[in-house]
This record gives sequence, C-alpha cells and structure tokens, in this order.
Amino acid sequence: MASDKARIIVFGAHPDDCEYVAAGTGAKWAAKGHAVKFVACTNGDVGHFAMAGGPLARRRTDELAKCGRILGLTSVSLDNHDGELMPTLENRKTVVRLIRDWKADVVISHRPNDYHPDHRYTGVLVQDAAYMVTVPFFCADTPHLAANPIFLYCDDKFQKPNPFAADVAVAIDDVIEKKLDCFDALESQFYEGGCNATADTVPGDPAGKAARRKKVREELRAAFASKADKFRKQLEKRYGKKAAKIEYAEGFEICEYGRQPGAEELEKLFPL
Amino acid sequence: MKIRPALLALLLGASCASPSPVELMDPPQDGKLRIIAFGAHPDDCEWAEGGAGAKWAAMGHHVKFVSCTNGDIGHWGMAGGALAKRRTAEVKKCAEILGNTAQVLDIHDGELMVTMENRRTICRLIREWKADVVISHRPNDYHPDHRYVGVLVMDAAYMVTVPYFCPDTPHLTKNPVFLFSEDEFRRPNPFTADIAVAVDDVIEKKLAAMAALESQFYEGGCNGGPHLVPDTKDAAAVAARKKQVRTEFEEYFSGPATRHRAALANYYGADAAAKVRFAEAFEICEYGRRPTPEEIRKLFPFFPAK
Repeated sequence: MASDKARIIVFGAHPDDCEYVAAGTGAKWAAKGHAVKFVACTNGDVGHFAMAGGPLARRRTDELAKCGRILGLTSVSLDNHDGELMPTLENRKTVVRLIRDWKADVVISHRPNDYHPDHRYTGVLVQDAAYMVTVPFFCADTPHLAANPIFLYCDDKFQKPNPFAADVAVAIDDVIEKKLDCFDALESQFYEGGCNATADTVPGDPAGKAARRKKVREELRAAFASKADKFRKQLEKRYGKKAAKIEYAEGFEICEYGRQPGAEELEKLFPL
Repeated sequence: MKIRPALLALLLGASCASPSPVELMDPPQDGKLRIIAFGAHPDDCEWAEGGAGAKWAAMGHHVKFVSCTNGDIGHWGMAGGALAKRRTAEVKKCAEILGNTAQVLDIHDGELMVTMENRRTICRLIREWKADVVISHRPNDYHPDHRYVGVLVMDAAYMVTVPYFCPDTPHLTKNPVFLFSEDEFRRPNPFTADIAVAVDDVIEKKLAAMAALESQFYEGGCNGGPHLVPDTKDAAAVAARKKQVRTEFEEYFSGPATRHRAALANYYGADAAAKVRFAEAFEICEYGRRPTPEEIRKLFPFFPAK
C-alpha cells in the first residue's frame, strides 16, 4: 500500500452484483477515505422481463451511478452483453488494465462456481488477472503493478467443488440503510424484479406500489441479516463479544492466486 | 464414450444428422414429463441413462438424447462424414429400442468448445424440448468433449429462463432440474449419487442398445482394431465376439448398483435395494432448480410409495 489509504476494486457480473455482495464494506472503506471502485463486467442488457438491449443497459448504468452516490464510490459497467461474458483473452486484458489503472491493493470478485455463467466467468477472468497484473510485458501498454494485490472472493451459497469459506467478515450495521437504499435505486432489478418477473410484479395503484417497495426492502434486509448468522464465527474473531449483537454482515474469502495477507494485515485492511 | 480399464481391451472408441420433422415439431403438451439428456458422443446418453430413458419412455414420458458431437473420429478404421452418418444411424436404432428421440449435432468429435454459439444451441434445445429435467456429464469427466458438454449445459442452466437471452426461442418460466450422470473421477470432487434408479427391468433394452452401437463396442471405436472384428463368414466367431461385448457390459452395468446401494435403499428400501443388479445414478447440479424429495419422486416415477 503506497499510503495509509487502500485502493480497492470489486468486479461483479451485472450492474447490481458488487452492491449485493460488497456495498456495506465499500461504503465503510469510502467513508474512511479509501478509494473504492465497483465494476460490473456486463451491461445487464437482458436483465428485465419487459425491456432489453441498449435502453436497459443505459438504465442500469444510471442505477449504478445512483448507487455510487449513495455509497460514496465509483460504480460502473463494461459494455459486454449480459449472459455472454466469456473468459477470452481480450476480457482478461480489460480486467488486468482496470486493476492496474486503479493501482489496486485489493481486488474482489465472484467465485468461479457461483450460480450464473457470467458470475463464474467473472471469477475466472479475475483469477486469471491475478499475478498477470505484475508481469511487465503482459499488456505492456499499461504499467504493471510492482506487488500482486490481495484477491478475495465474495460470498455465494454453492457447495461444489467447495463451499465459500469466509476469511474475514465485516459488520455493516452502521451502513445497512445505505446498502438498502442502493437496492431501492436498482429498481429495474428489485422493485420491478428483473428478468424473471412479470408485468404483474409491480401493482398499478399507489398503495400497492408503496407496499411493493417496502416488501423488497424487507426481503433484502432479511437476506443481509442472514449473512451475519452465516459469518458469526468470523465476526466473533474480529468483534469479540460485540459480535453477538451484529445484525448485518459481509464476508470475504482469500483467493490463493493473489498476495497472501497475514491475519494482522487482513484485520487492518478491512474496516471494523 | 466412456473408457473403463475392464472394457478398454474390448472396446478400444466416439454423428451428424439434420433433425427429422418429428424432432422439429412442438412437443406435445400432454402432462407427461419431458427429459433431455446431452452426451458428448453418439453413445454417451445411451450408456449413462439408457435405462432410465427406457423406463421414462415406457411410461409415455418424452425423452430426447442429444449427442453434442457427431463422433466422426470415433473409429480405428474410418472417420469423417461416413462415420458420422453411421453413428447417427446407430443412435437412431438405439432410440427405437429405448423409445427416445435422438439428435446428433454436427460438431466434429474432439473439437467441442465452450463458445457462445454452442451455449445458445444448448439453450435452444432445452427450451424447445420444454424440459423438466436436463441431464449431462460433469465438467470433470475424462474427455474434453465430455467436460465441455458439462460446462455448456451448466452455463445454459438459469439462462434458459432469461427471456431476452436467445429471444428467438421462448424462454422457460421454470428452471429445469439439472442432473449429472455418473463418472469415476475424484477431483476436484467425486460424483455423488443423489438419485439411483434400478434398471433391471430394462437392462435387455440397454444391452441391445450397446449392441446396436457396433462401431463403438463390437468394433471397438477409436482405440480398437481389426483384430477385434471377426470375419463375417465365421458365424461362431461373430457370435463369440457379440457374447464377449455383452458379458463385459453386464459386468460393467452391475457396478453402479454395488457402488450406490445406500442411495438405492433410500428410494427402494433396504430389502428391495439389496436385490437390484443394474442401476443408474444421478447427481443434482446446483445451478438448476433444486427438487424436494417429493419432487424427485414425481420426476422419477419409478420408486415404490414410501
């Protein structure tokens, strides 16, 4: 780390994934003056039941910008079609350049066994950028990093070939409303229900709309609360007795292909 | 094609056809189950789920076997289009025996890759079949074509439900149950038998299918040789070779029942399971719909009532 400020870049598959797994930790880092960037590797242009293509991609880009303002960080998407992200060399180079341009100390992505092919290939691409970001004459147009960043995976529920194993957990109770505000802003995906919803998902009357908004927020609140239970052991390690009262959390697993931080460095790096 | 050490000496082998008009028709909406299986070569589905396929078909359910390559290098003495046509004819013969529909994709054997084009092809096939159940290899099976079938089918899971992915083909409103067929590979994780089906009642059909795949088994496929194939005029030698193939398969197909006795007991009860000689096993893929035990019994309507 060049200064006491860390530089963090998070890669998600779609314009909402970084927010889903790391909005809380991202907001906490940003509040302390660390530089945080969220990158969606696809533009999300098939992620709705009624709209698609360029207009949806633009709409979702705007949603990310709103999230960025809420969280105090940069959230952008790459112009790759949703559902079509492949582990190509061109994409690997894009990811390498983004990590280098950001001068990242920390890189976070999906695991390569998450549920959606775009998630899995985001995981593969970021894994494949680890180490390569330090090789001077790979992507020689972009100055290489002198040190391999720390690479981490965000949480998923898949068990094979191995389940997610959190190495560090962050309590996000102090920023949970900001995280939930993001999902309110990501309205094409949550309020309107994204690609698997129907025209009936959002009621037509104002009372129904308000109820729908509230229901979405409470469902997400419950989902993020379940993570505190999932990572209770890791929370206890960092927060001691206070861990029992933590309601919301995010967890991260160290990827073997990045620099391997010691327990102390990891503890210092992640906000309490 | 699967190679087992026991079979290696015997089989030492991997079609191309435009779908028939029947295959292009919309599937009947008759309330029956709809199963589609993807194998790498024209023999893999028959091998891995020929028994379960025959059982579903016998009950009027709709079963389709898709070979993702045409098998055109799967022989020691012939190759190319002629072999692809021959192998397509073989799986059509199997389909008559087992009661399924068969399709062979015109992709060269040994050259199946994880491309967007192939993902779309798989996605469309699953949607057109309106599949309730999708079966494929695991992505860590022995042959690259097998592994990439596994990856392509995994990558089609969930995407089949996304309306504007492949918008030319109506999406499924329900993610099918995706299953893996059995293999022997241990890393990064071994096959788990979540579902085991006794196929004793259809084993003759499955063995007849293996006999019909003669380029692969009787003649030994890509690693075979002329030494395996007797002179057609020598009736005794031909009969002996046929018997040898059948005996090897009887032994091979009795393996799953032994390996998966506990899984069989789970579905048939310990007493009935102990008597099963031939079985097929399936693992539930995490990327499809996750069926409850009750739903598994609906999708596999073969098990005695609990």
